[in-house]
Formats: sequence, structure tokens, C-alpha cells
Amino acid sequence: MNTPLARRSGIGQAATTSVFAALIGIFLVFMLLPTATLVLSGGAEGVRLLGRDSELRGALALTLGCATAATLLAVVGGTPLAYLLARGRFPGHSVIAALVDLPLLIPHPVAGIALLLALGRQTAAGSVLAALGTRITGSATGIVAAMTFVAAPLFVAAAREAFEQVDPRLEGVARTLGDSRYRALRRVTLPLASRGLLAASIVMWSRAASEFGAIVVLTYNPKVASVLSYDRFTASGLNGALPVAAVLVLIAIIPLVVLRALRPNHPREISE
Amino acid sequence: MISVRSLTARHGTFAIHDVSFDVPPSAYGMIIGPAGSGKTTTLETMAGLIPAVSGTVLFGGRDVTALPPEERRLAIVYQNAYLFPHLNVRDNVHYGARDPAAADDLAGRFGVAPFGSRDVRTLSGGERQLVAIVRALSSRPEVLLLDEPFAALDPRARAGARRALRAVHAEHRFTVLHVTHDFDEAGSVGDVAVLMEAGHVVQAGPPADVFRRPATAHAASFLGAENIFAGTARRLGDRSPDWSAGTASSVDEHAVAFSVGSLTMHAIGDALPGPATAVIRAEEIAISREPRASSIRNQFGGRVSEIVPSGAITRVTVDVSGIPIVAALTTRSVDELHLAIGSDVVVAFKATAVHLC
Repeated sequence: MNTPLARRSGIGQAATTSVFAALIGIFLVFMLLPTATLVLSGGAEGVRLLGRDSELRGALALTLGCATAATLLAVVGGTPLAYLLARGRFPGHSVIAALVDLPLLIPHPVAGIALLLALGRQTAAGSVLAALGTRITGSATGIVAAMTFVAAPLFVAAAREAFEQVDPRLEGVARTLGDSRYRALRRVTLPLASRGLLAASIVMWSRAASEFGAIVVLTYNPKVASVLSYDRFTASGLNGALPVAAVLVLIAIIPLVVLRALRPNHPREISE
Repeated sequence: MISVRSLTARHGTFAIHDVSFDVPPSAYGMIIGPAGSGKTTTLETMAGLIPAVSGTVLFGGRDVTALPPEERRLAIVYQNAYLFPHLNVRDNVHYGARDPAAADDLAGRFGVAPFGSRDVRTLSGGERQLVAIVRALSSRPEVLLLDEPFAALDPRARAGARRALRAVHAEHRFTVLHVTHDFDEAGSVGDVAVLMEAGHVVQAGPPADVFRRPATAHAASFLGAENIFAGTARRLGDRSPDWSAGTASSVDEHAVAFSVGSLTMHAIGDALPGPATAVIRAEEIAISREPRASSIRNQFGGRVSEIVPSGAITRVTVDVSGIPIVAALTTRSVDELHLAIGSDVVVAFKATAVHLC
């Protein structure tokens, strides 16, 4: 029945829907417009530049190589920690979880300064690096360290979530069927968490590849792609930086697509 | 043989305290209790999946309390199957199998062999449960822990699974501990019944004893007793021969008069004088149209106030001096007695049918 109250409620709903639609529209435009404009303005020139600009190719290779190394380090070191945080309930659990997240919250140049302090030439760790023939500044080692430090927390958080999606009772059943803790982890938990762990690695890799602030404190040269785009911007202005920046955006789209394809394969069994 | 001694454990919001019971070698034990009574926590602590705070668990005389689950030689089947979703049916069944050929044979006996190559996520709830049972049995456990394993099965599948499990149990003689909240299931399958409530063992013993002689009024109610009366017990002195439940050696059992309202009934028991609860199972109560001369001590006139048919059994409630007494009769008897609401009848039950707690 079309009572005044029903009419008023209908008008109210329509108004609310309009406000929601407007908010979503404005937000999407704000989020997409800068990168879309960048790709449209410099994308074609950037792809052409790849053929003739060896510095750009070198910077991209260094970026991708260092991001891959940083991701491998995070996978090796972060996976056991993520599993422990997902499964264990121990004193200091929440403190450790919070500390692992800390690099996400501090400004990235500050992260670079912290790394310099901890791993610089004057420190014990710096001496170890020197003995190994490398150092934290002006080297791929510094780049990998910076990428790992700022991006590994994302891996640990996503990997922890992937492990939490696997019901611990599945591990328990495997153990009653004769598996040791580690064998059950290898035969049951890791296969079930594999897609989540792969997604975590891709998020980590993408974040590492796009890092600038921490790297620039430690290693301006050799230049990673983000430092190169900044360098071109300061040297030649917007026109000089535009193709390089557009190439970086195009490369970032690849992991985004892979991530979307990685839906969870084994959702947790429903518990009643 | 399972021996649990003073087991205390905590898991999230669930805890068990000082849990003790025994299941003889190769026997089929049942843990019965309402939801949240600590049944699953008990099983998981026995399995080593939850650490025991104190107490001991012995399997076949071997103290397994400190052993990891994989060294306890047990298997567990949960209500939700917990099949490995990344493995097909056959790989699930073979997961912990000592002998793959024997595992395939078991799969055949439980009817899951035909879908060996299927993705377990495509199975029905009942099929998943059968696969979980076969997977557990294939590991040739010495102790099989079952946590409501038949809950997801329809009645026909449940009967089939029970039959197959009984047959395998009879062959391999492992010890079973089966958790259920279904007291019908407990009464029909087990050799030993352990009644749990709020994390404690309330009573343990042969199922017939637990069902007929529940330790508390709450236990009686949970076990499906319909006639539970709070009243006063009074000792009648010497044992009367026709009231005696057992031999002369049962010296601590006495003839007792139990009063509830204006009704006084005869009972046999060791109840102390004073407030008590009388429990009479509906199956123990007979109804006739006229009083009969017999050794049955408790015969009371009353009027039928409710008749609830349920298949072959009909529950008839008789109002006796304001006390409702429920009798479970065959539907045929109800018809033959021409019972209807308002019919005047006589309810009769032996003194031994009255359990005081």
C-alpha cells in the first residue's frame, strides 16, 4: 500500500542508494585515475623505451631479481614463524605478532636508517657482511635487505592467515594416523595452505619490487626501477620520468592478475 | 584396555576434571553426555591432541600420557569426518594404512570402494563419514576413538555402518570408545557406559546399570527416564523376601518406602532416610484395567490423562493422586485395553523398578 510512510521510506532508500553510488564512484575515480592517466600518457613510450634504454632494463632486472631474492628469504624465514603464530598459543604470542608488523607502520626511510644502524659497516653484522665480501650500502645486498625488511611482514601476515584456514583437527587426524608433527605439516597443512602461501609470496614480491624509501637510504646506486623513476624525475622532470613510471605500473599489473586467479582451493571444512 | 585415571585437561572454553573410567580389553565403551559435557575434550586428551594437565591414560597397560599421538596406536573419527580435502577417497583411506590391500578390503566392506577416485568434497555427509571410519580402521589401531561418528548418517546407512563396524571389531578386537549424546545408541551398542556432565564423570559401569540406576536425577533425566519424583525415603526395616532384588548377600539393600505427595511407593535400595529422588523407567510400568493379585507391590489406581503414540510404542500418562506417571506400552496393548483419555486404570510396577538416588 502506498501510504505516506511507505513513500517516505522509499524516498529515503533511493536517497541513500544515490549517496552510496556517488561515494563509490568518487572513490574509484580517485583510486584509478592517476595510474590510468600515467599508463595512457607514457605506456606506449615506456614499452618502446625498454628496447633502447639499457639503464631502464638494468634497473628492472635488478628490481625483479632483488624482489625475488627478498621473497625467497621471507618464505624461508617467515613460513615457520607464520605457522607458529597461526597454531601456537604461547607467552609473548601477541607481542611477537605485533613486532613483526612494526616495519609496516614506520616511515620507509626510517626503516632504511634502522637497517643502516643495525647492519652498517661499524656493526658486528656489518663485519660479517664485509667478511662475505658485501656491504649494506650501495649494493644488491642492501636492496634485498631493505625489501625484505619492509615487505616480509605482509608475507608473514598472509601466510599466517593461510595456515589459519587449515583446520588444526586435520593435522590432529594425520597424527593419529601415524604422522609426526612435521610429517603432518608436510603432508596435510602445507598442501592445503599452498595457494594461500603462493598468494602471500606474490603480495610480498609486489611490495618488495615497488619499494623506494628504505632502498634509497641504503643504495642509490645501483638503481632499482623506483629509484630510477625518481632520478629521472629530478633530472628531467615529468616527461623524463613518465615512460619509466608507466612501465612500472604495467609490470605491477601482472601479479595483480595472478593474485585474482589464485582463489582459495580448499576452504576450511565446515564445523558444526 | 583403556584406563583413564584422574584426567584433567583444558581446551578453550571446555575443561574436564578428574575423569576416571576403564574400558576392558576389546570392549566397546560409550561416553554419554549432553553437548558441552567434555566428551570430545576427553577423547582428544586421550589421543594426545590436547595436553593433559594431570592424570594418566593407559592403553593396554602402557602409559601413553606423555607420548605424541602418533605413538599411541589409536585412531579417531570425528562427527565431521575431517577427510583430507586435497586427497581423493582412496588416498584418504590409504593415508595411515598399514596394509593398502587390507584398506581396500575394508573400503569394500563399508561400501566406499566404488568411489575411490572421487574428490572427497563431492561426497555426501554419510559417505564422508564412512570414508573417515575406513581410514581410521585401515591404520589398524589398538584403540578406536569415535566422536559421534554416525550423526551425519541417515537411519539405514547408520544401521549398515554400525553392523560393519561391529563385524570388524569382532574380528580385530581393538578397544573402542564411542562418544555420543544419543542414549538410545549408547544403550544398544556398548559394553561399558561412562556418563559425563559438566566435565566430570557422573557414573560409569555396564550400560544396563547406568540406565536403570542413574546416579543423579539430572543423569536420569538425560538418559531418558520419564518418571523422576522428588520425595522422602523411609526405611522399612527387615528385608522382605518378595521385595529382595538379589541374593541374601546384598546386605546393604533394604525395603524402602518412598513418599511423593500423598503417594507412597515401595522400593529396594540403599537410600538413607530423608529427601531422595525416585526414578522409574516408563518401560517398567504396566497398566491394567483392574487391580490384580500379584507379587507386584506398587499398584495404584489413576486416570489416563495423555496418550502419545509413537510407532509401535505408545506413551500413556496416568494421573495418580495428582502425580503423573508415564508408562510405555505397545500400541497394540493400548488398543486391546481400549485406553482413552479419562479411562480409569491401575498402574503397576515392581519395587525393584524404583531406583532411588
